[in-house]
Amino acid sequence: MERITYQRADSVESAMKGGARPDAAFLAGGTSLVDLMKIEVLKPLHVVDVSRLDLRKIDVQQNGVRIDAMATNTEVAEHAGVKKRLPVLAEAILAGASPQLRNVATVGGNLLQRTRCAYYRDLATPCNKREPGSGCSAIGGWTRMHAILGTSDACIAAHPSDMCVALAALEAMVHVRGPNGERDIPIADLHLLPETHPEREFSLAPGELITSVFVPFSAQGARSRYVKVRDRASYAFALVSCAAAVDVQGGEIRAARLALGGVGTKPWRVPEAEQALVGKPAQRASFQRAADLLLAGARTQKDNAFKVELGKRTVVRALSLASEAS
Amino acid sequence: METTCIGPAPDLSFQLAPPLEGASELGGTTTVLAFCAAFSGSVTEELRAELRGLGAKLVAIHPRGGLLIAPDDEPRPLAPAPHLWEAYEVRRPERGGPGITVLLVDPQRRIRFRREGDALLPVEQALLKALRSAVASTRGIGRRELIVNAIALALAAALLEACATEQRKGGDSPAAGGSGLVEVPLIVNGQKRTLRIEPRVTLLDALRENLGLTGTKKGCDMGQCGACTVLVDGKRVDSCLALAVQHEGRSITTIEGLADGDELHPMQQAFLDHDAFQCGYCTPGQILSAIGLLKEGGGRNDDEIREGMSGNICRCGAYPNIVDAVRSAKGRV
Repeated sequence: MERITYQRADSVESAMKGGARPDAAFLAGGTSLVDLMKIEVLKPLHVVDVSRLDLRKIDVQQNGVRIDAMATNTEVAEHAGVKKRLPVLAEAILAGASPQLRNVATVGGNLLQRTRCAYYRDLATPCNKREPGSGCSAIGGWTRMHAILGTSDACIAAHPSDMCVALAALEAMVHVRGPNGERDIPIADLHLLPETHPEREFSLAPGELITSVFVPFSAQGARSRYVKVRDRASYAFALVSCAAAVDVQGGEIRAARLALGGVGTKPWRVPEAEQALVGKPAQRASFQRAADLLLAGARTQKDNAFKVELGKRTVVRALSLASEAS
Repeated sequence: METTCIGPAPDLSFQLAPPLEGASELGGTTTVLAFCAAFSGSVTEELRAELRGLGAKLVAIHPRGGLLIAPDDEPRPLAPAPHLWEAYEVRRPERGGPGITVLLVDPQRRIRFRREGDALLPVEQALLKALRSAVASTRGIGRRELIVNAIALALAAALLEACATEQRKGGDSPAAGGSGLVEVPLIVNGQKRTLRIEPRVTLLDALRENLGLTGTKKGCDMGQCGACTVLVDGKRVDSCLALAVQHEGRSITTIEGLADGDELHPMQQAFLDHDAFQCGYCTPGQILSAIGLLKEGGGRNDDEIREGMSGNICRCGAYPNIVDAVRSAKGRV
């Protein structure tokens, strides 16, 4: 690990100031940043510790839950209000990482989790995300864990987070504070597609700090499920995952939200797939049609073509479970 | 490379312990004198090798005796030498004195270096580290005077790193904006310990390398195997992905802190009773994780135990017995 200077922020203001340095990084739980610093993929010179900021509340309000950025993944997943009103969020968090990691990993940090692409983590291989313009080793390489949606000729790295997939289906708003004031970012706009600049991953400006996430309540959110398919029973990144939220009344779908993990360069949503479910019977044929639309844009590599069919089956399964919960 | 001469060294004679017996007098060689609370001699051979490169002797003196380590002789135990503590004006650790006092006496019997502190590394390791860096820095230097200076400087540097000085810091945030050593007070297994470390040091490395608590294991060192699991304020975490500096004031529990004297913690006993390991490398992490799981209220059935222990990999595959052990410890943790 490179030498660093360390600053423990005692206020959001001092954090923003320290974090505005071009060589700075915010440190919360450390489970992603410290890992990447140790293998020298990320080399901040100045680390701003935000983990002790007073940003730890989980506040159930009338229209939704406001989750402060430093709430841990465990705290969110175990929160009674979250489990009851937003079950997909609790399920997704518990499907990710291990208890040790969830005990320290924060919501703010999880939103900014970096890809697990093996080439991004391997300094010996070219990677456009790590070293812009150097090339993509994944394309034509070992691609079982890589994305098939939202890819570009520069990058096919999959987005790694389970929590973000649930938050995408729940249409969460990410609240940030920065040198130019406060703003809300819809979660769909927080993560950027790789396109020609895979090194640009988030729509955040230097010094901008995520302070909370607002997750709105909805009829479909209350009946939502998360299905994750992986190479072992627990503690593995997704091959495919699906967050499904459906509002079914009298056997007919009133509203639906779907997001995919493990297959996209960001949490993957297709509004047409959700629209196609509205007014349809909550049955397999309807689910299959939505699944086809969700995976329609897939571009596969030699090791991950199986993810198209696996993805569709995962969508159907998640929709079936969510409908049963209705 | 100048070090000052502090003053003449008092008498350096002492008795060898039985069965060797007899008096010995040090002189004519460079001598490192280490007064300490205890000295196990665990790295004697390595110390001897380094001393050979320096042409120096090491005398480790503790309240119950000591050890004379010369490059070309077998290490010789020393009889208790209260007169040396007095002659060198060293306050004894058992009476509130510093944990370690190191002096360097040159061949002309002049004290060239003196430093006190509370060693965070075990004394043996601190001295070994100091001598190693002295050997490295004297490579190619033939002149004895320069070698003495180099040893003094290396001792100073190594002990500065290994010891918490008496100074207390002011201010709130540790060394805001500094990349040098920072002081990080922690509660480790119920005892207050103060680290002097770089901010980039992980909690795992601080426990193992700075505090000598090697029961916490380094497996993958990337948060994937759980061998480094410790409890922080009662919650299980992977210490390899945590910076020690973030944990100022936190309470850390490692495997060394579980037993009550000779009485094992119920989870340790359960692992023994159920033969829940083979090679044992993952076991400290498994035990801490299992304690964390039960404290969280998890592990209500075998499936929950398996899922709750998924962050701890056992490459020997002792999983069935680990599940048995955790199940059996329920209600006793």
